[in-house]
Parts: sequence; structure tokens; C-alpha cells
Amino acid sequence: MTRATAVSEELVTLEIPIGPQHPALHEPIMLKVHADGEEVVKVEVNTGYNHRGIEKLTERNTFYKDIFIVSRVCGICNTVHADCYVRALEQILNIEPSPRAKYLRVLAQELERIHSHMLINAVMAEIVGFDTLFMTIMRDRELVMKAKEILTGGRVHADYFMPGGVRRDIDEVKRSRLLDILKRLEPRIKYYRQVFERDPTITKRLTGVGVLRPRDVVEHGLVGPVLRGSGVRSDVRAEDRYDAYDEVPFNVITYEEGDSLARMLLRWDEALESLNMCRYILEHLPQGSAVVDERKLPRRFPEGEAYTRVEAPRGELTYYVRSKGGDKPYRVKIRTPSYNNIINSAFSYIGYSIADVPVILVSYDPCISCMERAIIVDRRRGIRKLVSLRDLAMKGVAV
Amino acid sequence: MSFVKEVLSHLLRKPVTIEYPYVETSIEQDSRGRHFPDLRKCIGCSLCAIECPAKVITMKKLPSELKPPKNPRGLYPVINYIGCVFCYRCVSVCPVNAYVVSSEYRLASDRSIESSEELSLATLREGESR
Repeated sequence: MTRATAVSEELVTLEIPIGPQHPALHEPIMLKVHADGEEVVKVEVNTGYNHRGIEKLTERNTFYKDIFIVSRVCGICNTVHADCYVRALEQILNIEPSPRAKYLRVLAQELERIHSHMLINAVMAEIVGFDTLFMTIMRDRELVMKAKEILTGGRVHADYFMPGGVRRDIDEVKRSRLLDILKRLEPRIKYYRQVFERDPTITKRLTGVGVLRPRDVVEHGLVGPVLRGSGVRSDVRAEDRYDAYDEVPFNVITYEEGDSLARMLLRWDEALESLNMCRYILEHLPQGSAVVDERKLPRRFPEGEAYTRVEAPRGELTYYVRSKGGDKPYRVKIRTPSYNNIINSAFSYIGYSIADVPVILVSYDPCISCMERAIIVDRRRGIRKLVSLRDLAMKGVAV
Repeated sequence: MSFVKEVLSHLLRKPVTIEYPYVETSIEQDSRGRHFPDLRKCIGCSLCAIECPAKVITMKKLPSELKPPKNPRGLYPVINYIGCVFCYRCVSVCPVNAYVVSSEYRLASDRSIESSEELSLATLREGESR
């Protein structure tokens, strides 16, 4: 009996390497797409272009320096990395931050979730060829960046977390400015959600593309909005109730459809939910001190280990920190959500056309440098030609 | 149709992007910008150089003509701004709060300032001339 894979390998006429360099997204990855005509029959995911050895670097630096090193694993989700690592240190040190510090931590993380979700929705608009929408979303994303600057002192890198609290507090003036920004942001997010729901430019490209059944996502260990977009109710914020998530009310949003549109709409809904959380935090901020005096923190750590997880904008992020005493960690293990979502999702491209590959990839919110160009190799005729991402996304591949 | 309205509403407006060198970017007063140690306060303890995550602070010997009273070892920190990540760890660990902070983000200019050496030494010379 002939195996199905053997049949498909014979039929392959196109092998399209997508990646590994693209300036629009954040990390380089290569998708080697095997196509039978327009239909994708196999996808190989090649990673490892961006290995910086951060886990090893953390072992060679002190616990406190590592807070700033791990927050540079990813620029978009730096506060969640720092929060996860700092909570691990707090577990080893056995200290508890003040309620105000916990609220401010959640505020920083939720602001980050809003701008991360806005960014990937803007990138999706660009990928489907709707550049005007990309521009307007990125313009309104600046509001969130400003809010982050007011709160933490940096537009992108917050450097806001320290064991036992946060590194700067907000006063009444800043509080009212942040509330004002949220007030201006809310109608914009609602409007963009409506555009994604109704505009035919978006819906025609996204509806029914990259459909994942709940069984598929659970079997392949996909996390975050990809999981919730297929109707599986799983959110670390609701499961672990870390920081102030036990006091701040929020809903876990799920969509049953499981296609690319459901994942993007879910991100808009989550952004709105985060916005409501930010407003709740600013209106119910507990009194007391939040800022920790970094000069009084212990220099040497006791022996111990901690395993923490947070809900990053892209899904569940986990940290394992082991201390053997002294001032440096023995081991820091980081598992990021993108790794799960991208490595394990090769199965989901099969059966769709080549033009759908960028759409499906972006709907997983990859933390990767997207695809600059593709080389088409026609094995029968021995022709090689370059296709830009724009052509690939807008027209499909004209062979 | 709704998006057409959105686009049309921008036709008569000015561009959102700022013409940067001619128009200043609005920046928060307390955002993390260029910082340097005030040598009138610095005690030369090297704590900032030890704690710097980017390892860009080096301790240098003070010139022999400058003798601040609180600095027995005669050392002062020099920040290399090229590699600095502006996390302000040095500012928060300093036991005498010697760092002068600012929101200055324009580090590339015709008179580029690559390290804090001149700025720091100027604080000491100012102090002596007063």
C-alpha cells in the first residue's frame, strides 16, 4: 500500500522558503512550504536564527541584573517576562509585594497586552493588504505607548519590576492622565473591532482560514489566544490568580469558530477587557507604598527553586529559577508561548493555499521576523524566481 | 463604508507624524533619559559599576587637581552611553543619590556625548569655582 506522504512528495512542484529575514516582525524564522500547485501539502518550521544564549547569560549574572536581562528577551512583552522572573525570585526570598504594587504590576501588564494585541491586528491588516488600517491602528497604539511611558518611564522597556514591589509610583496627576488616555482609547478599539468584524477586505481573507478544532489545539499544546479562539477556556490569569488578578474582575473570552478571524476578534475583545481592568485598577488603587528600596534588598539568595507562569499577550509564559545559594542563579529556564504556537502549528497550514500561509502565521501572533520574500523553484523546468511578501499575500503566487 | 468615512475625515487634517528635528517629540519629564553622577556627592563606592546589567560603567581615577572631600579613593563612575540600556539601576542603588537624571533622549547630535565623563567632571569644576 502506498503511503499518503509518498504520494504527496511526488506531486510537489514548489518548495517555497518563507523567511528567515523580514523587518516587520520581531524574530527570524523560516517556513519551508511544499506546495502542490496552490495547495500547501507540507510545512517545515526552521528556527534557531535568533539564539542569543539568554538562559546561559542569566547564570553568569546576579539575580538582580537578570531582571533587566530577561526583560530583553522580547521587547513587546517585556513586563510579563520581568513579572514572571521577579515572582520566582519573590518565592525564593519568601517576600510578598504590597497590594498597591500588585495593582500597579497588573496595570503595566494589561497596558502591554493592549498594545501587543493592537500591534498584531495592525500587522494582520498589513499582511492582507489593508495598509491604511495598519497606519490608523499604529497611530492609536501610540496612546498606549504614552500611557506606558507615564506609568513606567519608558515607552517600550518598562524596567518596572523589582522583588517586593515596583520601581516607581504614580501620583494623582498621572492617574487622571492615564484615565484620560483610556477614555480616548476605548472608542478607537471598539471601532477597530467593528472594522475587523464587518469590513469585507478583512473578513474575506480571514473567515474560515486556518481553522483549528479544539482537539487539534489541545493535542499540539498551543496556548493563549490560539487556544481560546478554538473554544478552549484556559487563561493563566484566571487559573493562577497571581498578582492582583484575584481582586481585579475580568472575563475569559473564548470564540468557538477557531479560524483566523476568531483569533483576531478575540484579541480585540481581550484588549477591551484589559482596558476595563486598567480603569478598574486606576479607580480602586489601594493606598500605601509600592516602591521598594533597592538598596535594602538582600544581596545573597537562599537555596531554593521556583516555577512561575503568567499569561503573556501570546499565551502561557513559564519561568523556572533555581538557586543554590549565593548571588547568581544556578539555572533559569524560560518557555515562551510563541515557541509552542509556531513549532507545533505546522499541521494547520496543510490544505490551504500559499496566499493563506502569511495570514495563518500572523493569526498565531508569532514573535518572529516575518517573511521578506519567497523563492519559487520549479523543479521540472529548473526556474528560480523571487516573490515579494506583498505579492504573496495579495495575489497568491503566479507561477 | 465606515472605513471610507474614517479616511475622508483625515483628508484635511495635518499628518500625524512629527517632523522630528523641527518639531520636538513630546516626552515625559520623568522618563528615563541621559543621567550622570554628580561628583560633589559621589563617594566612589563602585556599587553602580558592580550592579550595572549592561556592564557599561567603569570606575576611573579622578584627575589629581580635583580632590572632592567625600571621595577617599579618588574614583568616579563613567557611563558609556553607547551601550547603556537606561534601566536606571545605577540611579536606584546609589547610596548617596549622586545621580542627576534627565529625560534627555537625543543622544545622537552634532556634538555627540558618548560618555558621562565630561558632564561629571563639570559638576566638580562648577562646585570648586563657586
